[in-house]
Amino acid sequence: MKKEQHNPSRRHFLVNASLAGTAGIIGAAALLEGCSKKKKVEYPFPPLLDKAPDGKPLKAAVIGCGGRGTGAAINFLNAGNDLSIVACADMFQDRIDKFRAQLKEEKKVEIPDDKCFIGFDAYKKVLELDIDLVILATPPYFRAEHFRAAVEAKKHVFTEKPVAVDPVGARAFLAAAKKAETLGLTVVTGTQRRHQRNYIETFRKVAEGTIGDLVGGNCYWNQSKLWHVNPKKEWSEMECMLRDWVNWCWLSGDHIVEQHIHNIDVINWFLGKYPVSAVAFGSRQRRVTGDQYDNFSVDFVYEGNIHIHSMCRQINDCTNNVSEYLRGTEGYTNCEDTIWKPDGTVLWQFEYPKNEKGEVVRELKVNPYDQEHIDLVTAIRTNKPFNEAENTVKSNIAAIMGRMSAYTGKEVTWDEVMQSELKIGPAEMVLGKVNYPVVIPVPGSAPEV
Amino acid sequence: MFLKKFFHHPGILLGAGLIGGMVLFYGGKKATEVTSTDAFCASCHVHPHATDSWKQSTHYDNQRGIVVHCVDCHLPPHGFPYLREKVKTGMRDVWSTLVKDQEKINWEEKKTPEAAERHTYQASCIACHSNLFPRGLSREGEEAHLYFSDHQNEISCVRCHLQVGHYREGAIHAHNVDFGKQATVTVQVFTEPAKVDSFVSFTERIPGSTVQFDMVTIPGGTFVMGSPADEPFRKPDEGPRHTVHIRPFFMGKLEVSWDEYLAFFTQTGGTGHGTQQEKAVDGISGPTPPWGDPAQGWGRGTRPAITMTWQAAEAYCKWLSKVTGKHYRLPTEAEWEYAARGGTQGPYFFEGNPKKYSRHGWMRKIVAPDTAVIGRYVIYGMNSGGKTAEPSGLLPNPFGLVNMLGNVAEFCSDWYAPEYPAAEAENPAGPAEGTEKVIRGGSFMSDAADVRCAARDYTRTTDWLKTDPQIPKSIWWYSDCRHVGFRVVCDYPVHKTK
Repeated sequence: MKKEQHNPSRRHFLVNASLAGTAGIIGAAALLEGCSKKKKVEYPFPPLLDKAPDGKPLKAAVIGCGGRGTGAAINFLNAGNDLSIVACADMFQDRIDKFRAQLKEEKKVEIPDDKCFIGFDAYKKVLELDIDLVILATPPYFRAEHFRAAVEAKKHVFTEKPVAVDPVGARAFLAAAKKAETLGLTVVTGTQRRHQRNYIETFRKVAEGTIGDLVGGNCYWNQSKLWHVNPKKEWSEMECMLRDWVNWCWLSGDHIVEQHIHNIDVINWFLGKYPVSAVAFGSRQRRVTGDQYDNFSVDFVYEGNIHIHSMCRQINDCTNNVSEYLRGTEGYTNCEDTIWKPDGTVLWQFEYPKNEKGEVVRELKVNPYDQEHIDLVTAIRTNKPFNEAENTVKSNIAAIMGRMSAYTGKEVTWDEVMQSELKIGPAEMVLGKVNYPVVIPVPGSAPEV
Repeated sequence: MFLKKFFHHPGILLGAGLIGGMVLFYGGKKATEVTSTDAFCASCHVHPHATDSWKQSTHYDNQRGIVVHCVDCHLPPHGFPYLREKVKTGMRDVWSTLVKDQEKINWEEKKTPEAAERHTYQASCIACHSNLFPRGLSREGEEAHLYFSDHQNEISCVRCHLQVGHYREGAIHAHNVDFGKQATVTVQVFTEPAKVDSFVSFTERIPGSTVQFDMVTIPGGTFVMGSPADEPFRKPDEGPRHTVHIRPFFMGKLEVSWDEYLAFFTQTGGTGHGTQQEKAVDGISGPTPPWGDPAQGWGRGTRPAITMTWQAAEAYCKWLSKVTGKHYRLPTEAEWEYAARGGTQGPYFFEGNPKKYSRHGWMRKIVAPDTAVIGRYVIYGMNSGGKTAEPSGLLPNPFGLVNMLGNVAEFCSDWYAPEYPAAEAENPAGPAEGTEKVIRGGSFMSDAADVRCAARDYTRTTDWLKTDPQIPKSIWWYSDCRHVGFRVVCDYPVHKTK
């Protein structure tokens, strides 16, 4: 089992409920027939090496040079040997300058002036270069368009989450994900829990049936206020919004999509399905800029009448919690590293590695952000494409469904989202006045007085 | 004795069986091959045009030099059901070759998406076109294929890709920007609309065009709306019967023709993609170019205009009112039924029992439906040849209206509700709100049961926009409805009071 997990060629792993991890695939197949309570889960695990193997030098470009773009570039350079960042694109010169300075300081990587591009169509210029992959880290509004162009240009992709802010964008991303699949491209998506050994081992246990059938659960991303950027007089309206993107729904998808997607994705991953409907509420209590809510509460319903309560909040001085919880007929789990029996005693716990001092700390040997890029580079160099784009965009669609329900007060179904013509954001992209109404949604109607 | 012994030898029997099996197998295989060639298919000469249109299609005439053969689409892919389907379709072909009158086969009807679905195999499409998301696929294509992936039992490949196997002049499944642009020779362009001072039938002229059409007087009166409980094929939504008073008005003698509708389209049409927010300078924005061919390749001219949305028909009335200075609008459902009945109270405005005319019912197992009488008044499933008809040659109803029943179903201004208010009413206009609009009269696709004066139907907005892959979907054209048009009415006095 362990060996299999380390072997990148055996990424498709079959789990049999009755076997509880005692046999390999051949044994599992043989035993399937004699077992009445059988369960087969096929899931493509990432290769999970500690370092990417050597191979063809890979050249990457970064589209979106903010904090996460810079972070992702460094994670990529950490992943193995012969990896380089050769170009970048952003909307603002100061962002590019900061990005280049940090790359130079931390990784001794220099990007020439003529490989730095600015503007809404800078991504097109980047994609014309001789590169192997792109790192997409702009505000999510632009992601579907960039991803689609990257796939059409046959580039491997690391894309940050979320991948879309509305149903139209999500479907564009989904179609591009399917194109990437048929082209054999590798796509890793910034939902790093799926690259964490502790989560993966817990998933394996749950898939084997350790806690029986899953019957319900919760997921949370309740944290303090996130950052905001106050508008400046010398900035155009568009520039103010772009620099403050994490507070604008059309740019970020709102925080249920932008941030809470991680937890919703874990739940979908463990359940092996996506919610069929959602009823949600939320509101805006203390946000400073933008048009977003700062709290959501969603009742997601899955096939088999499984209910998952999702909640997320970005307000200071409240009880915080970022985690998942799944209940099964024979126990429960935090999805991260522990499984409990129904009576609360620990049934299984992930074994974290020991640090230099020989102590067990709750930390993985390779940080998950580097791990994603190790998996990306490994998949490319071993020519075993790994593509998690479809999983991620579907979790993204679930998050959008929750948001749509909270904004309208109405139940929203998966099929409705899949056929929705909702497309948010201004019609015209120019660094100037933004012709887009700022409306904070209020669900339902006021009583007649 | 020896022979008997010989044949009793198990090895001999086994050998004979093997040889027999091989003969059957290879013979069968050979027979299958021979009867699966394009030449064999074409050898019956039943449908020579099918061979011609195939050779003009992208399945034959393409840059890659790939030829897709008859059996590649008209039989399932190789595998178990192949032989079964081959035998089935073969028997059907033999039967129709021997028994049917080849001259009478309605090939027009076989060109519809419904017929194409019957005669091709989805699995065969997919067997070759396994990659639904190739590089270079347009956004519209992506949308359509995503929808298809999730709704394979609801929509088929040929619904959008109808002409890939058999070429058809003008057939298109794309943004049809050239629609209606064909230059017409201008003989006489009307500069003035008709002047109407009294309640007399008149011929309207559309200023700035060569188009004119007849409006006939519908005298005011009282009638009983709905059908009695014992009317054959009556549906519950045709009641309760109630008395309705109608004021006098004018009604188009015919359904709005392509000539009329295209006058509107060319004078107002936008070039972009219509959205609800779009506002034209003069307050009336016209249709944007359609997706596909609204006329279905049946020709335009005096044929009724079809596939426009209810909103588009409304916009047409507004525009017509503006250019003629009269008050044109869609009829209310009550006006429509009053006009269709023309003072009669039976199932039709002519003689006859729906049971005798319909294809449904136990009698049909014994005798064919009677088409003689109804066929003189109505274009419906039994005489339409699967498409709309030009209006000439049909007899009018007592008010002088042609094609009230059949040809194309007609939009009314009312919201649909599955039940009428029971109370006596004066010029009722239907429920205050709803989700779908009333359509009336049945169409060229209808059975005689559904072209009764009282028969009701309603729009299916979602279903009728299924193969429109645009975002947002068009507000002007239905992509999947080809049996609905409309007829205008004009208030009397004609001049707008405002």
